[in-house]
Amino acid sequence: MAERRCPVDKQLIIRGVTRTSLRNFFFWILPWSGILAVGLYAIYLCLAVGLNQTNMDNRFAFGVWIFLDLAVIALGAGAFFTGFLLYILKKDELKAVINSAVVLGFICYSGAVGVLMVDVGQPLRAWFTFWHPNVHSMLTEVTFCITCYLTVLAVEYSPIVLKNRKLKQVPSLMVFEFEIHKVMYVLAGLGTFLSFFHQGSLGGLYGVLRGRPFAFREGLAIWPSTFFLFILSAAAVGPSFILFMTWIVSKISKKNLVKKEVYSLLGKISGTLLIVYVLLKTIDTLIWINKTSPSVGFPAFEFYAWNPFGTWILFAEIVLFGLIPALMLLNKKVQERLPLLVTAAVLACAGVALNRFVMTIQTLALPTLSFDPFLSYLPSWQELATFGAVIAYGVIVYSFSFRYLNLFPQERDLNQL
Amino acid sequence: MNTELKTKNRYGMVIDLDKCTGCGACMIGCAVENNIAPAHQNATDRTGITWIRVYEVENGESFPDNRTVYVPLPCQQCGKESPCVSVCPQKAVEVDPSSGIVGQIPVRCLGCRYCMTACPYHARYFNWWDPVWPQGMEKTLNPDVSTRMRGVVEKCNFCHSRLQAARAKAAAEGRRDLHDGEYLPACAESCPSQAIVFGDLLDESSEVSKAARSEKTFRLLEQLGTEPKVYYRSEQNWVRSIAEKKVTEMKKSANRVGGEAVPRG
Amino acid sequence: MFPFVYGFTWDAGNIIFLGLFFSAVAVIVSTVMVATLRTRKDFALRKQESIRWESDFHDLPSSARKCRHEFTGEFKHRTCDNSFECGECATHAKLIEHALQNAAAEEPKENAQQKIYGFDMPLDRMYHRGHTWARPESDGTFTIGIDDLGSRLVGLPEHIELPAVGTRIHANGTAWHVKKKDSDVRIMAPVDGEVIETGGPEKDWYLKVKPISVKVETGHLLRGNEIRPWLMREVERLQLSLAVESVGATLADGGEPVKDFSKSYPSANWDSVLGEMFLEP
Repeated sequence: MAERRCPVDKQLIIRGVTRTSLRNFFFWILPWSGILAVGLYAIYLCLAVGLNQTNMDNRFAFGVWIFLDLAVIALGAGAFFTGFLLYILKKDELKAVINSAVVLGFICYSGAVGVLMVDVGQPLRAWFTFWHPNVHSMLTEVTFCITCYLTVLAVEYSPIVLKNRKLKQVPSLMVFEFEIHKVMYVLAGLGTFLSFFHQGSLGGLYGVLRGRPFAFREGLAIWPSTFFLFILSAAAVGPSFILFMTWIVSKISKKNLVKKEVYSLLGKISGTLLIVYVLLKTIDTLIWINKTSPSVGFPAFEFYAWNPFGTWILFAEIVLFGLIPALMLLNKKVQERLPLLVTAAVLACAGVALNRFVMTIQTLALPTLSFDPFLSYLPSWQELATFGAVIAYGVIVYSFSFRYLNLFPQERDLNQL
Repeated sequence: MNTELKTKNRYGMVIDLDKCTGCGACMIGCAVENNIAPAHQNATDRTGITWIRVYEVENGESFPDNRTVYVPLPCQQCGKESPCVSVCPQKAVEVDPSSGIVGQIPVRCLGCRYCMTACPYHARYFNWWDPVWPQGMEKTLNPDVSTRMRGVVEKCNFCHSRLQAARAKAAAEGRRDLHDGEYLPACAESCPSQAIVFGDLLDESSEVSKAARSEKTFRLLEQLGTEPKVYYRSEQNWVRSIAEKKVTEMKKSANRVGGEAVPRG
Repeated sequence: MFPFVYGFTWDAGNIIFLGLFFSAVAVIVSTVMVATLRTRKDFALRKQESIRWESDFHDLPSSARKCRHEFTGEFKHRTCDNSFECGECATHAKLIEHALQNAAAEEPKENAQQKIYGFDMPLDRMYHRGHTWARPESDGTFTIGIDDLGSRLVGLPEHIELPAVGTRIHANGTAWHVKKKDSDVRIMAPVDGEVIETGGPEKDWYLKVKPISVKVETGHLLRGNEIRPWLMREVERLQLSLAVESVGATLADGGEPVKDFSKSYPSANWDSVLGEMFLEP
């Protein structure tokens, strides 16, 4: 082994772990900053010139941004679910990934809120929802819940930041971190409660749309079945996303970050929830095909008569990206072999993303009036650049967190053999 | 959300599709009355604002059985389970308790466009651009109707300001109730073939009430349960079939070139 | 949102929804406030040093948190869950009682110097897990120094920051800071006390303190036949740390250790080694 040079900012990096040189880190951050800059310019255009910069229109009122919001919030569910499993169900093995999960959750939710502020026509009026809430609207519930939850995530993120090597030397910050950590379970519990509701309401957004029989579902009281399905799918995919992200970060940083058992546990949890979700989704789809949709005059198979959204998309969502990864994640042999486990996790994430896509994009593409055409929509570069900006923002925040904060407590032990 | 209200008047319209020629005068009258700005140069048929919009619908047959009908489609003013009212996060859409008109509050609208997703009739329009009137054209603005800003949703409100003006006039004359035909939205007024009949559906003697009760009338997508207050009427069977999606009809128009509906305007 | 806002109605939906929302906000705000108020109380009660230690202890690797009773063979495997505060540990109290009953047959206390694995470990003093020692003097004061292994780890430091006379140090808190190459580490205080005199590497002690309270807590310090097994473990930990942090060479067994280890391992990440051995995560 060659002589190891310590990075210039070593005093900011926790003891017992190595990080790449500041120069290498700079060159890693640079391209992402470029993407972020382009995205910020696109955002500026959308805010200054108007939403005509996008390819959304009166028929496709929701586009790729809403799909991004829904997908990213479903993936960020790992934060609340891991917190719930750790602080409430006391699954201590997850201490290995809770910090990373909180950072990922924070990135996902803050990114989603950022994009939402660009997506609405009048962002400065965002507080109107709070001032004149319509409690019958799922979107009101989403707004309130996500705002609260983002605050919870910020408070959960703060002790991770305060444990930075330099910051924790400041006595007041160190003691505050200690005290807030002691009451973390309260926030984890509140986070679980809030997440339950907003994940559900995001599903409810589409489930209540009487005017869109493709999305409309019956359910329990005011909550359509999509409310419960979205919660379940988000809880199922959260651990998979964390698994996948941990693996990616360990590959990029070339380090062992968590013990193998942690990967297996995440896979097992994800697989268990995913198989239940697939079962319930299948039942829900059958009810929809046979009862709900025909009762409002829309035979379900009609929806799949349009290219490119044929029945293959339903099959892909439930079987290819639902049942198969669920079975893989539950399989002991797969849990032992990391590459297979990661593949299964990625398939599960893709399945949930596909579900969100189907709910947002396919719903709007389909005709409602008998003389409506099937519509197509492709995002404009500004929309894609904004999408890219969110991802770049996430990478940058995560990179800084990984470098200067203790995201993986097991890292030190694993490097000590 | 059940938006059914016990209202004093329930304004609705019956549009006779056999009389509509597709001239588009209703669209022009509406635009003038409601201060709709000229379309931006980059606007397309999916980003322009047309509170009432005439659709050209063909029956999908080939010559000599091909038929066309023109369908003017304003906001259907859903009377029950109005999709847009229940979904607006900040109550910027409200049902007027005195007239049953589903009104939009542009100054409260956030521009989230959830109502547009919810509306099955595509009756809602978003201001994708800042509305700009060329110099001199601002003199044509109707002072009774507020203009909207970029980034908010707008839609037909049965020319609500005309209702208020008519009621004020009636009050000045010492009346509480309006006569049938005293309050007409701009589209009904502009139609040269008088295809649009408008009035109070609760008033059994009104023309609209009688027309709505005829067996040749139908409403669009009735099975959704929205209870729209806009009725359509035609003697032709195939025209009445556009009310609901029927597989065979749909398949027919989908496969043919030119069989797709082309929104006019 | 509030009753005075235009359009507000007191219906069930509004009450439940807004009720839940305000409760959630209240929970968040009160959690943060409770943490803040407790922080202030901690400062008022001067608990910051013990909190720092408790927080740090939590972050130490498990190999550094072995219970002292594992050294003496009383347990096969046991990790301390009490931040080395043996004085307050029920298990320790039970085991000490047991040991006292068997103390009759113990070897007599030697006042002679004792060398263990080449390190000077005199028996007239008590050792702290952080490689400092405390020796009670006849006038009731305590002398504090760094043990042989510790001093060889520190070697010739670039800078030592000793506390000023009159400063209060707390057991398991910071006694002084050492700056070595580009790393710095805090050295742990073995006992509570008020500094009355400072020494340094030239003397064989660093601090002289006088007790703050009537009874000075020493239950957490190692003595007698615990020292040998503990030191053996520490040497093992050091070897492991050097193996990981440098080119893989290890300490030779036996022989005289050098005065400044860092000179023998110039490529080692000394920051990590110091942190590991002086229990600063």
